Amino acid sequence: MSVSERVALDARALGIAAFVLAVEWARALAERNQPVPVLIVGGMALCLPALGFRAEQLGLSGQALLLRLVGGVAIAAVLLLPTALRGGGGVAASTGFAAAAAIAVSVGEELAFRGALYAALDTAWGPAAAVFGSAAAFTAAHAVSHPLPELLPLAAAGILLGAWRWAFNDLVAPILGHVLTDLAL
Amino acid sequence: MKRVALVTAAACLYFGAAWVAAPGFFDGIAPPEPYRWVSPPPELRSGNQPPLSGHLDVRVGANGQVDPGAAYTGDGQAQLAFVPGAFAPPSGGTVSIDVTPVSTYPPPSEFALSTNVYLITANSNLQQEALVQLRYPDGRPAPANLYTAPQSGGAWHSLASTGNSAPFVISARTKSLGYFAAGYSSAKPPANAPKVGGGQTLPIIVAVAIVFVLLAGIPLAVLRRRD
Repeated sequence: MSVSERVALDARALGIAAFVLAVEWARALAERNQPVPVLIVGGMALCLPALGFRAEQLGLSGQALLLRLVGGVAIAAVLLLPTALRGGGGVAASTGFAAAAAIAVSVGEELAFRGALYAALDTAWGPAAAVFGSAAAFTAAHAVSHPLPELLPLAAAGILLGAWRWAFNDLVAPILGHVLTDLAL
Repeated sequence: MKRVALVTAAACLYFGAAWVAAPGFFDGIAPPEPYRWVSPPPELRSGNQPPLSGHLDVRVGANGQVDPGAAYTGDGQAQLAFVPGAFAPPSGGTVSIDVTPVSTYPPPSEFALSTNVYLITANSNLQQEALVQLRYPDGRPAPANLYTAPQSGGAWHSLASTGNSAPFVISARTKSLGYFAAGYSSAKPPANAPKVGGGQTLPIIVAVAIVFVLLAGIPLAVLRRRD
């Protein structure tokens, strides 16, 4: 690989990270007054970086789809388990619009972080950078909207979702797991 | 198998992190945890957990400025975030900050409370603005502003709201410490905040999900392995 190709890959990864963080921070700043429309628009904007990749590069394959869907339910169960065991937590978005917002933002986040950003980091610097880099970006993306202590489980969730993406080359299960979790909370 | 083991390890890591720092994975638009009231409304008295306090010690850096930081309560309901040099360097070399939910405070006269009242104190004065963030509960009128009153007593006044908060979090900049609470004008109550369900639904959902994964996932995985 030539130096210019190498630089292009690095720049692509950093550019996607910057774009995704900018969208997430803008969304966090804007969503207080109009949360539902902002979440929907923000979620759609997060899908944009994925347009530069083929479905296989993003981990979106129809192979073993049933198993991937079951994997998504398993991820949701793991993500929800601590809250459920604590007995806390509101359940289910109260309106169709709120549900649409939860779906839009969770699909957008997965396509952005475990899809496009993961693929770009993996190509540029390898799988470890992809897992931990996408988790770090995912955590940083929530720094504006979440109190500091809540970033710890978000970082760990980012590592879990990234590890799944790496282990099974699969984005379907992280998307489904994230959607189900956001709908439940 | 190595990859599955690493995913399992990541799941355990997440569980530990989410157990230590509530509420765990959450980026929806509703508060995940029931609000912890100092004085809960009558209908919430039975399940109410007491709110938690927070403490932070911040050092004076090599440049003579007090380091940046964020002091927050253990339940994440209140937070004070500040930039480098926001506090005047104290003689002892360390700024000690306490964030405490309180039951006695100057009575608010022109606004109704949406949250607990928090007393934020430090052994040094602010010399730059700091950001106060308070979480507020769902199912009640959303606060319009953050209010403050001096610890020495005196009237409450509005800090307005910076608007840079997540849903169910209100924030504002302050130049001094003291009592902080979020509320809305008594004369003009806002529309109710969005409501979410609750109760035992979430544990049931998770239990059903686990059973589903065991019943469907294991046979599918075995079939795939045979193929």
